[in-house]
Amino acid sequence: MDIATLQAYGFFFFTAFLVAILYGYIYHLYSSQKKGKRDYEKYGNLALNDDINDPLVEEKSRDL
Amino acid sequence: MENRPLEYDYTVAKLFMYNAIFVGLAGMLAGVVLAWQMAFPQFNYVLGMDLAEYTNFGRLRAIHTDSVIYGFVLSAIWSTWYYVGQRVLKVSMAESKFLMFIGKAHFWIYIAASLIIVVSMQLGITSSKEYSEFEWPIDAGIVILWVLWGISIFGLIGIRREKALYISIWYYIATFLAVAMLHIFNNAEIPTYFLTGGIGNWYHSVSMYAGTNDALVQWWFGHNAVAFVLTTPIVAMSYYFLPKESGQAVYSYKLSLLAFWGLMFVYLWAGGHHLLFSTVPDWMQTMGSVFSVVLILPSWGSAINMMLTMKGEWQQVASSPLIKFMVMASTFYMFSTLEGPIQAIKSVNALAHFTDWIVGHVHDGALGWVGFMVIAALYHMAPRMFKREIYSKSLMTTQFWIQTLGVILYFTSMWIAGITQGMMWRAHDEFGNLAYSFIDTVTVLHPYYTIRAIGGTLYLVGMAMFAYNMYKTMTSSRVVEESELQNATPMGA
Amino acid sequence: MFHWLEKRPFFFAVAVFVVIAFAGLIEILPNFAQASRPIIGAKPYSTLELTGRLVYIKNNCNACHSQLIRPFKSETDRYGHYSMSGEYAYDRPFLWGSKRTGPDLMRVGNYRTTDWHENHMMNPPEVVPGSIMPQYPWLFKNVADLDTAYAEQLVIQKVFAVPYNTELPTADGSKVTVKLADTLEGARAEALEDAKVVAADMKNQDVKDAIAAGNVPEIVALIAYLNRLK
Repeated sequence: MDIATLQAYGFFFFTAFLVAILYGYIYHLYSSQKKGKRDYEKYGNLALNDDINDPLVEEKSRDL
Repeated sequence: MENRPLEYDYTVAKLFMYNAIFVGLAGMLAGVVLAWQMAFPQFNYVLGMDLAEYTNFGRLRAIHTDSVIYGFVLSAIWSTWYYVGQRVLKVSMAESKFLMFIGKAHFWIYIAASLIIVVSMQLGITSSKEYSEFEWPIDAGIVILWVLWGISIFGLIGIRREKALYISIWYYIATFLAVAMLHIFNNAEIPTYFLTGGIGNWYHSVSMYAGTNDALVQWWFGHNAVAFVLTTPIVAMSYYFLPKESGQAVYSYKLSLLAFWGLMFVYLWAGGHHLLFSTVPDWMQTMGSVFSVVLILPSWGSAINMMLTMKGEWQQVASSPLIKFMVMASTFYMFSTLEGPIQAIKSVNALAHFTDWIVGHVHDGALGWVGFMVIAALYHMAPRMFKREIYSKSLMTTQFWIQTLGVILYFTSMWIAGITQGMMWRAHDEFGNLAYSFIDTVTVLHPYYTIRAIGGTLYLVGMAMFAYNMYKTMTSSRVVEESELQNATPMGA
Repeated sequence: MFHWLEKRPFFFAVAVFVVIAFAGLIEILPNFAQASRPIIGAKPYSTLELTGRLVYIKNNCNACHSQLIRPFKSETDRYGHYSMSGEYAYDRPFLWGSKRTGPDLMRVGNYRTTDWHENHMMNPPEVVPGSIMPQYPWLFKNVADLDTAYAEQLVIQKVFAVPYNTELPTADGSKVTVKLADTLEGARAEALEDAKVVAADMKNQDVKDAIAAGNVPEIVALIAYLNRLK
């Protein structure tokens, strides 16, 4: 196999892989929001309540 | 230490804001001169024949593009970074002497580099690569500048109080990383002076790549410099300033996640659309074309998110000129991210490439989307930095309509000019001979070049109104209380 | 997943970098091995021609003129044979341009002469009525920088093995050798000899005086470059 064929295969499978990841991710996002496992939309408040004395949306813990 | 409550420190943000306004005016003035030069060549000699070497189209062109992209827009990006960065991470620059020093060094080295660039472009010291014209000493300086910004980004993130990074921060990080990569690879060059033991100019260099390869790297850079200087940081601004100004949380945080990762992956592939029908391999051209069309999805993902953020709040568009700027910017974003892919379709590109339609496309994005979003961001920040209301709301509204008219005149005239010229280039008579000589296809453009120059002049007039309004806001308008600065920006009559 | 990334700036940055670098890895790198081989008939630039090329770049001629003929009948009728990758093998940087405010120049040497360029650069609308190209009188006064071009030649010969002083095949079967002098003085003298050939077809008195004094005006180098674009 020459380099161009390798490139083509590499490209195709990597893209297919990424498409699968993308759709899986969309499903994951919306299902975990719906089941109440996680609230993504609360992070919108990062912009709205951004005064230095406003309550934190999520505190940065020490163990990170 | 005196016992003051902690506040955000906008020292560096202010410095970049002054520069954005000043260079914005200067760079657009250069653009307007160029536009008049194309309509009336006498403008090449505005300062007399003796200085024509420095005022002619060729020399001014790089000064115009580099000063609006890297002077006006980049300053505004950094101004917003030093403002938004603190706020969404809930940490003040005043908390770290080190970061404050880095921020100031970032600004002053940037100013020094800008001055050197203007002089070198005037003298014709250029590597010829579009949007990357600088010779190696300046390229090296840009690396230092970029590292300083990187320290500032990751330093501020390191001492943050909020655990999660807001959407805007993702886009700033992407801008930082992508431009670093593009800059280093596209400017791989060998200084000739040192390798030859001191022959010729010390600042001259020769590209590491030749011919087709050089073109490939250059347009991988050129296309993505547009992506990561004129798009991602502007998206960063819109994700912060539109929700903040309107008081509406972003419509869908999940959609913003998808749009971000989609844009990151797709954008870099689309550079090949600058090289359709050239000598780069066919599959690369096709790839560039296909990915350009795919690029509509993540671009519109962000734009639609902006529009839906305004859901149920459209009365704000009527009442606030600031919201007008941002909504019009998002509209132009949707418009030019649709127009771009259309031009990247091979059969359309065969007609459009090398014509003024491309110039028109660049400018409806640059003036309509980038310009308007930057103007809105600076208008939003000024009252918060200077604790004064916007000097004049009516002046701002007038500016909005004048500039909108300017953009419309600009892109409509360039559409007609581009398509007319493209059609004339390819026209054959009944015997199969070319129907027009090249000069026929130039003289026919005169009215459109004139209309474009008028459109550009209107936009510049709007910029002057903006500068005046900002100056008055900073110095002499009514002082406001913190409580008035929550969402909608306070404005005087 | 990405939710996790957004709270970890380091891994977030790494992920972004991998995603954006992917395109370049697949698209650009593998073609470097293939795309820079010269076609038969391609030859490196002489000192004077390369000096002219630097004048072309200095005045940003590429802002308005392309050097890329696309494979359409309308373009090959107007400008000549469409461009081939191997023709650009010695072009550092490439000068394809992105806008045709003026016509393509890839093969301008086939249909324009020294005399035509001389008159045209001095006052374009006089030669082409209706032209919006500005005048370039300073090219007739400024002395060209031969030294920098020679330094560039030395570097590309050393680093990229550009074949100077080597017999190269041409399309009609004959051989051609592009000379590169051993010393800076030699290169200057050679460029001046080449410049005299070009200047012999020119009328401008400033140019003739400069050549007589042993200097090469920018216009002469530029025309030498334009004449070799074929």
